[in-house]
Amino acid sequence: MREDRRTLVAVVIIAASLGWSSCRRPPDRVREEQPREGARPGGQVIVASLADVTTFNEYQSTGELGEAETIDLLFPLLMTEQPDYQLHPPSFAPRLATSWEFSSDNHTLTFHLRPDARWSDGVPVTAEDVRFTFLAQKDPRVGSLGMEMKDFIKDVEVVDPHTVRFNFTRVYPYQLMDANDGHIVPAHAWGKVPFDKWRATDFEKIVVTAGPFRLAAHTPQQTIILERDPGYWGSPRPYLDRLVLRVVPEMASQLAQLIAGEVNVVQAVSPQEADRVKANRDLNLVEFPSRMWGMVGWNNRRPMFADRRVRRALSLGINRKSLVDTVFRGHAELGSGPVLSTMWAHNENLPQIPYDPAQAAQLLAQAGWRDIDGDGILERDGKPFAFDLFYPASNTLRRQMALLIQADLARLGVRVRPVQMEFTSLIARTEAGDFDATIWVWVDATKVDLTSVWSTPSPSQGSNNFIGYSNPDVDRLNAAAREEPDYTRAKVLLDRIQELIVADQPATFLYEARLLVATSRQLRGADINAAGLFFNVDEWYWGS
Amino acid sequence: MLRWSLRRVGAGVALVWLVATVTFLLVSVAPGDFASRLNDPRISPAARLRWRRQFGLDRPLPLRYASWLATAATGDLGTSWTYKQKVTTVLAEVLPNTLLLTSLGLALEFVGGVALAIVQLRRPHGTGDRLITLATLTAYALPAFGVALGLIALLSYRLQLFPPSHMLSLDGEMAHGGARLLDLARHLVLPVTAIGVTGVGAVARYLRGSLLDERREQYVLAARARGCSQRQALVRHALPNALLPLITMMGMSLPFLVSGSLVIEVVFSWPGMGQVMFTAALSRDLPLLLGGTIVATVAVVVGNFLADVAYAVADPRVRV
Repeated sequence: MREDRRTLVAVVIIAASLGWSSCRRPPDRVREEQPREGARPGGQVIVASLADVTTFNEYQSTGELGEAETIDLLFPLLMTEQPDYQLHPPSFAPRLATSWEFSSDNHTLTFHLRPDARWSDGVPVTAEDVRFTFLAQKDPRVGSLGMEMKDFIKDVEVVDPHTVRFNFTRVYPYQLMDANDGHIVPAHAWGKVPFDKWRATDFEKIVVTAGPFRLAAHTPQQTIILERDPGYWGSPRPYLDRLVLRVVPEMASQLAQLIAGEVNVVQAVSPQEADRVKANRDLNLVEFPSRMWGMVGWNNRRPMFADRRVRRALSLGINRKSLVDTVFRGHAELGSGPVLSTMWAHNENLPQIPYDPAQAAQLLAQAGWRDIDGDGILERDGKPFAFDLFYPASNTLRRQMALLIQADLARLGVRVRPVQMEFTSLIARTEAGDFDATIWVWVDATKVDLTSVWSTPSPSQGSNNFIGYSNPDVDRLNAAAREEPDYTRAKVLLDRIQELIVADQPATFLYEARLLVATSRQLRGADINAAGLFFNVDEWYWGS
Repeated sequence: MLRWSLRRVGAGVALVWLVATVTFLLVSVAPGDFASRLNDPRISPAARLRWRRQFGLDRPLPLRYASWLATAATGDLGTSWTYKQKVTTVLAEVLPNTLLLTSLGLALEFVGGVALAIVQLRRPHGTGDRLITLATLTAYALPAFGVALGLIALLSYRLQLFPPSHMLSLDGEMAHGGARLLDLARHLVLPVTAIGVTGVGAVARYLRGSLLDERREQYVLAARARGCSQRQALVRHALPNALLPLITMMGMSLPFLVSGSLVIEVVFSWPGMGQVMFTAALSRDLPLLLGGTIVATVAVVVGNFLADVAYAVADPRVRV
């Protein structure tokens, strides 16, 4: 199987060297059905989960923690997105679709489906299911979270039971990704429920799946038992007989249960516990870059943060390296800009802002902030430089960050008042622009589009640019980059956008988190990466 | 009696309405709503606006309140926004779990408290009395999560006597009948003990005080004069009277019985009301939050009513 991985990497590198458009070609079959040497089938893996699944219907989901990963084990996607986004926009491997091709004008995308695919009740998975899924995704009565992903897909046609055609209204770089977004759901079972009833339907009662595992039992707030579906048509088939998700809502308890052998996998180990896990001979710690990154968002609409010299001074005045090392104990990277350093679109030449309190003080003085009354706090127009820094209650890491930032900025004569806040309230205040500064975390998509977070907010469309950053050049370049079908040309635009944003410092980029997953040492074959915990669950097995 | 009952029922209904209304207002004026959490750059910002329209969160508060009240008045608590199930279904799933845990916890608290108080009264102000007082007060002062974690560390991880969490083991979930019951009982030991240990001090302390008072009453002396032993006089004569204030205490514990203990439920991964209500509060799942509040309020009203009736039964001087 290692060989196969190498083949996969080779395919990916060739694809990358041929350019973005070549990613549209169907890649070779990279996962073949040959048993891994020494792997014994059977057994179960118990995974600790912080929360229960509230629904098994993706289009009802409110995006609860871990829900998407469970749904991914039960329902098929047309293709599997590969975790190769550090090289180029992600490529895809076959899943329900064996191959796909674009029409010459790129307005039509045709998928050829596996003829042997079956739902867990034996009914074939067909093009009709793909079309039904699309109708559900687009229907406002269903209210799917990803509805906007389908904005440029006009319709989905059934050509024959195993061929389905997506018609686009326009050509753009992420057509393949948008077509693939969302798992295929069973038309024959769920089509009986009218769309306007979906929001109040318990789909668990009529669940029909088509994944490597099927739902065996669900005890609310306790356990989800998935068992290998013997009728699964994909390959390779899982070695494990059962995959159990055990709800343990408290992180410390999760680790204690892992050590006691009650569970086999803990999905998020805190950096403080990493050494303890490493020291334990029965456990294995997997560490990899996540797509989660943190920043201090300065409310750019507030007069005190409107001047970019001030924002730059604040970034220079925070000892970010020391902060990241202290809080994450070496399990996070220093952030540098709005695109993760692990993404293909990251600008390698971005300058890293150093810790330089002297230059920070100079910039603040230039912006008119001086300590006139000698109380140690800077003033301008008679007002002291003092503000509230919000962070979510119950998050100890961010609390530590807030305190370190407070101490660093106090040395510059800036008075920071860390304010902890209940999470939903924090979001609401931030969304409404009713804040000074906030420690904020984003989890990025593999689709690089900086519009929603960094383009000037539009009240009618909604925006994730809570900090109110506005730079017309960034707006223009963002609009151009999201339309550019060639990713190498898009990269040029994205590089420039990153330079502009870093120069403006609308936020202080703090860190890029690494994820720590702990597993029992005897669990073998697991390739856990940013594509998800269960990325290669079919290759997990128990060592002797 | 009928008029009194009717008046109590009327007052109860008014109280439920008042609490639900205040909850509705508090949750509505709190920052954030159900759509706030969709703040993921992977989700289009337009989805947030769309959700606000769908759940009617963009309508004026009085309108939202009126439509909720109109539905609730018919007994329909609506559908949970998170679980996509009837609020009554969600609550019916978790309420029995909470009731099981809390009723056993409270029972341990009361039985343990009564037993300890009687032991203490054998020799008031003696060494045993002082030691028990010290121990129970220390337990009372300890935070519940500390006791819970301590019990898990000792009895589960070190001595491996009881499972550290959940209602049933994986095998237990698959089992039926006696095996399942036994598995459940083993899982109940630690959380019930955690509730009992932290609460037993209050009961013992309360009862000890009132027993000390009762002991000096003339009817106890009279009992002794009639030839009752010290112990008989205490248990048969003084105890029933000393227990009266505990009826009030029990009545007041009913909300806990229903709403559960979040800390205990989280530490022991117990699928109860506390966890569900906490998640509902964080995600601003208004129908579920209101449903849970109404159930808890009804429990308070019923609890008070039952406490009054119990008082009347226990103490002939009280007439309802």
